[in-house]
Amino acid sequence: MKNVSGNTSNGVRAGRFHPHTVALREIAGIFGRMGFEIAGGPELEDEFYNFTALNVPPDHPARDMQDTFWIQGMPGKVLRTHTTSVTLHSLERMAKEGIPSMRALNPGKVFRNEATDMTHEAQFYQIDGFAAGPPGTVTLAHLKGTFDRFYREYLGPAAKVRFRPSFFPFTEPSVEIDVWFEPAGKEGRWLEMSGAGMLHPRVFENAGLDPKKVQGFAFGGGLERLMMIKYAIPDVRLFHSGDLRFNYGFEQLA
Amino acid sequence: MCGSSIRETSASITVLNNWHDISYRFVLMKISRQWLQRYFEKPLPGVAALSDASTFHAFEVESTDGELLDLKVLPDRAGYALSHRGVAKEFSAILSIPLKRDPLRESVAPWPATDRLAIKTDSGYVLRHTGALVTGVKVGPSPAWLRELLESVGQRSINNIVDATNFVMLDIGQPMHAFDSGKIAWSEGILKIDIRKAKNGETITVLSGEKYTLSDSMYVIADGTSGELLDIAGLKGGLASGITEETTDLFISCGNYDGTLIRKMSQALKLSTDASQRYQNRPSPELTAYGMREILALLKEVAGGEVAGVVDIYNTKRPMKSVSVTAQKISEVLGSDYSDNDIVGALKRLDLSFEKKGGEFVVTPPFERSDITIPEDLVEEVGRIIGYDRVKPAELPVLSAVPFTRHRALIEAVRELMVAEGYNEVSTYSMVENGDVELTSPLADDKKYLRTGLTLGHEKAIALNSTNLPLFDVPDLRMFEVGHVWPQGKEKFVLGVTYWVSGKGAEEKISAELKRMREKLEAVVGKKVGALESPNTIQFDMHDLTDTNATPAFTQTQEKLSSFRPFSVFPFVLRDIAVWTPDGTAADRVRDVIRSNAGELLHRCDMFDTFSKDGKISYAFRLVFQSMERTLSDDEVNVHMKTVTDALNEKEGWKVR
Repeated sequence: MKNVSGNTSNGVRAGRFHPHTVALREIAGIFGRMGFEIAGGPELEDEFYNFTALNVPPDHPARDMQDTFWIQGMPGKVLRTHTTSVTLHSLERMAKEGIPSMRALNPGKVFRNEATDMTHEAQFYQIDGFAAGPPGTVTLAHLKGTFDRFYREYLGPAAKVRFRPSFFPFTEPSVEIDVWFEPAGKEGRWLEMSGAGMLHPRVFENAGLDPKKVQGFAFGGGLERLMMIKYAIPDVRLFHSGDLRFNYGFEQLA
Repeated sequence: MCGSSIRETSASITVLNNWHDISYRFVLMKISRQWLQRYFEKPLPGVAALSDASTFHAFEVESTDGELLDLKVLPDRAGYALSHRGVAKEFSAILSIPLKRDPLRESVAPWPATDRLAIKTDSGYVLRHTGALVTGVKVGPSPAWLRELLESVGQRSINNIVDATNFVMLDIGQPMHAFDSGKIAWSEGILKIDIRKAKNGETITVLSGEKYTLSDSMYVIADGTSGELLDIAGLKGGLASGITEETTDLFISCGNYDGTLIRKMSQALKLSTDASQRYQNRPSPELTAYGMREILALLKEVAGGEVAGVVDIYNTKRPMKSVSVTAQKISEVLGSDYSDNDIVGALKRLDLSFEKKGGEFVVTPPFERSDITIPEDLVEEVGRIIGYDRVKPAELPVLSAVPFTRHRALIEAVRELMVAEGYNEVSTYSMVENGDVELTSPLADDKKYLRTGLTLGHEKAIALNSTNLPLFDVPDLRMFEVGHVWPQGKEKFVLGVTYWVSGKGAEEKISAELKRMREKLEAVVGKKVGALESPNTIQFDMHDLTDTNATPAFTQTQEKLSSFRPFSVFPFVLRDIAVWTPDGTAADRVRDVIRSNAGELLHRCDMFDTFSKDGKISYAFRLVFQSMERTLSDDEVNVHMKTVTDALNEKEGWKVR
């Protein structure tokens, strides 16, 4: 394989994007064509946006210190455990500005109080997002269609999705999205890729929306996991190592 | 209770998905097909078919082993499904085969009262407690059928009494405990039981022999006469009042306790049991009566004896409210058409009683289904029982949106500039050894604080990367990162630009390069935002760029990457070689000769110098040798270099310098 990034106009060899950037641009592009904008929010988040408004009960184990990073002297502040918190900010914007329909992708860094190994990291990225609109306009079938198209464009034309029942406090019904993935030259298999579901009415209420007038789906999955599958990356710790051998471990293809 | 047929787990199964972390407090529960079959006349399909039925309609299956299924029961269903009856009910609905007998649909007949048992409860902890005195039992081995069923889910048989209580819990989900009432002090012919808060420092030795020291945030079953502790209420029974071969009289305790308090006790004591895990998931307090009926009947069968009487204290009832849904609502949420007939079929299979009022299905959930509280819960029940295959993928209607806002486009434009200027994008850790925002439970001493800037991470990245530059064939180290930082406790979004070079005049080169980049970047973002953070790093505030007029030149480009090729963690060895060649010789010819003679350990081969003189061309190449498996020796590399040198010298008119 030939390295296509030659010298730039100033005589310097071009640098390398972090693989996250390459992946996020591609993913944002696919979702962008389906009407999703990119949204962001703080990494140090209010407990309200990370847990409470998302219908996570006050005594839920996910709020425990051993699972989540809390801050000394700043009660109610938490390193976000998912970028679903960003969805809450967007729903609030819908309520405040009277926006009837919205779709957003919330890529971003999230944190988990967990010892690290090849498949576990304390900081990683999440591909999270939602679509909302008047009742009947954004359905579970649209969730399926959205991911069907996303995976076909991102992982290849053989990709397809299936749903299994699941549970998340902020969606009802909740599903697991499995994707059928056929790596080049290998046998295909079903992979568990993302949690998803129809946004829980209480989440709309907590954002100041009337759940009788709005309906939508939400989803959340790990970016690194998706990239580890697509690019055969063996160790999640490489992503945040600051090691340029990681950037140069990929050929940039034309 | 012994062994454990269920265990609470979280995360880890699915790596790197926080939606799972937040919700996946699933309980892994062993279910035996043989045990399930007791609920059905019709033979159940094989384990593989049951596994599929469960996966696509109810619970994920962690694994199967012979006739055993290990189910992942999620919190919404764990209140009713942590039992063979609960799972049988699910299979009955999914496979549309009726139950032979449903113990929770047979009403409980009144028990004989007794004045020989007096129970006091703390109503802040005890939702309900049903207690019984049984006399004249004969302790012995369990009958074969009971032993076999317990063993089928990996439980060890102890004796008929303990086995019976375990059986009823695994069968219908109600935890319970049998005490030897002969080992409890009585007051004038009355067995006094006090379910109360523990006192700080009270200790109890549990059945398995461990001693626990309790605090006043915990609850116990105590002997109301002597004050001795009998049981950590809802967790585990005490050793002193355990069943032995000499036991003849029993006190049976079927409780329902506060799920949150149980979870905290279980965490504080690092003691998780089949009982505590069920209580944490808040089974209905109605269930204690069914549990008591089942255990009394079973004890009679396997150990004889007489029921002296039952005392039932019901502190907190959990009222069940009806929930309504329409076919339109279900179709609107799921995005597929569901007829009234579909809905009637699903509700009947689920044994959810309903009334049809106009277009509405008014469902009154049975007591154990406290998970059904809103119309969306019924949408899910209908959707999953019929199966999500019914939901066909649909494209969202067109909605115009700008994937990149101006701010985002600006950031992407900055990334483009950085890469064009030779800079490599890195991601370093947000948690570092010092800063202004301190975590309450850090992972490690060097991850105690949120970073105040990108400098610390980049200093580490310089140390890591500066010795590897020949691997990338670059003379200096250029890095950038876009990320969140917390100076003075305030979150900021910044760009960090780091330049490093060694050798003569390095300091001047670094400051000149950083100045150059600062000007370039300020031109792109349209305002002065850069600040020198360390000799090697400047940082740009990217947080608030709304007041600039910069119009980002960025248009979505798409790089493509190959699969990842793991890199070597072993040191590399560098060798330079220069060769005179006749005029008109192409660099690639030289490169080809080097590559085909340097052996498999050649990692890179980069030309770093060339010039012409006296009708000859000189080419200088830098060779990087590296092994994936070991550290290379100089001698070994010298052998390869000799082969390369000889090969080059063999060419007509070539001469290694």
